[in-house]
Amino acid sequence: MNSILTSIYAFSVQRLPYITLIVTFMGVALRVMRWRSSPPDPEKIKIDPVESVKYVILDVVLFRKTWKTDKAMWLALFLFHGSVAGIVFGHLRGFHIWSITLFEAFGHAFAEFMVHTLPIYVGYVFIITQVYFLARRVMLENKQLTSMPNDYIALVLLLMKSIAGQGMRLVAPEAVPTALYSVVFIPRFVVLHLETIPNSHWFHIHIILTQLFIMYVPFSKFIHIITGVITPAIYGSRRKQIDR
Amino acid sequence: MAQGGSKLTAEFNEKAKASLGKFTRRQVMELDTCAHCGLCTDNCPAYNESKDPLHAPGVRSAMAVKLYDRKYNFLTRLFGNTEITVKDVEELSESAYHCTLCGRCMESCPFGFQTHELWTRVREIVADLDGTPVNVGRLAGMLEENMNPYGLDPDERLDWVDYTDLDEVPEKEEAEVAYFVGCTTAFKGANHEVAFSIASILDEVGEDWTVLGEEEWCCGNPSLLSGDEHTAKEYAEHNVKELERRGVKKVITGCAGCYRVFRFEYPKLLGREPNFETLHSVEYLRDVLVSGKLKLEATDEKVIYHDPCELSRLSGVISAPREALKYLTNNPLEFEEKGIDVRCCGGGGLLQAVNNDMRLDIVSRRLEEAVEKGADILVSACPACKLAFTDGVRERGFEIEVLDLLELAARQLGVF
Repeated sequence: MNSILTSIYAFSVQRLPYITLIVTFMGVALRVMRWRSSPPDPEKIKIDPVESVKYVILDVVLFRKTWKTDKAMWLALFLFHGSVAGIVFGHLRGFHIWSITLFEAFGHAFAEFMVHTLPIYVGYVFIITQVYFLARRVMLENKQLTSMPNDYIALVLLLMKSIAGQGMRLVAPEAVPTALYSVVFIPRFVVLHLETIPNSHWFHIHIILTQLFIMYVPFSKFIHIITGVITPAIYGSRRKQIDR
Repeated sequence: MAQGGSKLTAEFNEKAKASLGKFTRRQVMELDTCAHCGLCTDNCPAYNESKDPLHAPGVRSAMAVKLYDRKYNFLTRLFGNTEITVKDVEELSESAYHCTLCGRCMESCPFGFQTHELWTRVREIVADLDGTPVNVGRLAGMLEENMNPYGLDPDERLDWVDYTDLDEVPEKEEAEVAYFVGCTTAFKGANHEVAFSIASILDEVGEDWTVLGEEEWCCGNPSLLSGDEHTAKEYAEHNVKELERRGVKKVITGCAGCYRVFRFEYPKLLGREPNFETLHSVEYLRDVLVSGKLKLEATDEKVIYHDPCELSRLSGVISAPREALKYLTNNPLEFEEKGIDVRCCGGGGLLQAVNNDMRLDIVSRRLEEAVEKGADILVSACPACKLAFTDGVRERGFEIEVLDLLELAARQLGVF
């Protein structure tokens, strides 16, 4: 590997995580400051915890409104967000939040399927749904919707990082060490433990794109990861106040 | 509109900044969250008629956030375009006023944005930037002069009494119940029978009731819908003062717009709750029918009920008219899109002033469905809906009778 790539790859593991952390927090802070600097709402909506949770489940988890409007989009949204949940959960194993023993109670074969086979299919679903979103956006552009540049940047960035992640699964690992292979992003706090040493190129492209994506979240429409729970909760409480 | 080539003056841009700064915390969060997915567009009555992207709610959201960013986004202000042009204001106005403010996009939005408030705020910004359409602008003058949006003398407010079989209506200095007639009922001939019906039912039940007569001013809804909160506040103060002065405990209105404004906007405008309860006439009708104070015989005619957007989706009154209807007909029918998911009739949002053809196209869809369902009578509970439906029947040749729910009740009562 040439020295420039070696430096970039080292930078992506040793320095970029700190930059990611700072930029992400700064981005969130800027967003919050933007909202805080706007005038408060004249109407005080009393948050009703039961109604808020109910509508978060109905509208964010089950996509009730999309089901009523567009069944194909509902399926894509459901599969996309389901695969996001699966992929995030799967990655937590690498950070030692859980282990394969979680599934061992159902048999070793099942546990193996859950941690090694299923993620490959989930990865494909994740990519296919993103391609669908991208194609839909392009087809409806200037007809039913007008995108901002960040709508495309966010989606393309996510798609690229997903393809890199899936590529890592499909390309043979560089080695299978006897002990776990650890990648230290932030000592003691963010340490990834891998069973194999993945292909270096796919791995580093994946972690660079992932970190760029995380940094971009507060500046993009992916801010809905946070606000997408707040607005339906307000909607739910509002409905409770309105309905007679 | 101030013009300087395609760009507005620096002074105007400062004004634009101040105006865009009116978006509230929640609204800026909503604009930031909007993924421009276009799902709101599928059910938008205006967009579905014109297919013009400018009329799509999601596109309006994109336009609003782009303008907001030009004045308030740190990065845009450093590296991007910060000017607001004549074309920007014209497009925003075109978009904001090709909307019935029915709130259907709120019920399609996966994030549940409060779009009715958002689009009203956009209209306020358009008004600040002198972009309000001419016909809508005329409303302000008529309201200022006559306290109603039809430019008629306030002393004509009770003319409906003369045009109907009612001998007189009480104008008392003190009463338990006030009937707030509303401008569209009082001044539009097609709705005079609605006022007559409500008055007749109040008499039949034996209520201690009154009207405000010339002291009834517009509720303020048209002002709010055209972005003039100041005038709406003035009207709110006057109406509430008049009602409270008479010791009114219960205000009944047959207008969905007045009802929404009384229940939800007056507390915001006044900073307090009025000292009376507001009921829509269909809630009152339901109550007196269920309690047995009013006894009616149901008809066998097929009656289909259209939910006014301001009453159902925006005010949550969905079951009351249906409960009342059970006492009025043995054959109630329902539209496919109803209740919280009702399809707008096109009568709201001041669309008539901007694009009456679009209004008629929207109402025709609703009338088509009512006819296909085999309804003899289409009932609603809003004078703006009734006007839209009667205009649709007349202009597009549909064979169906259009009534207000209270008119149907009064007919069953035998008053006409």
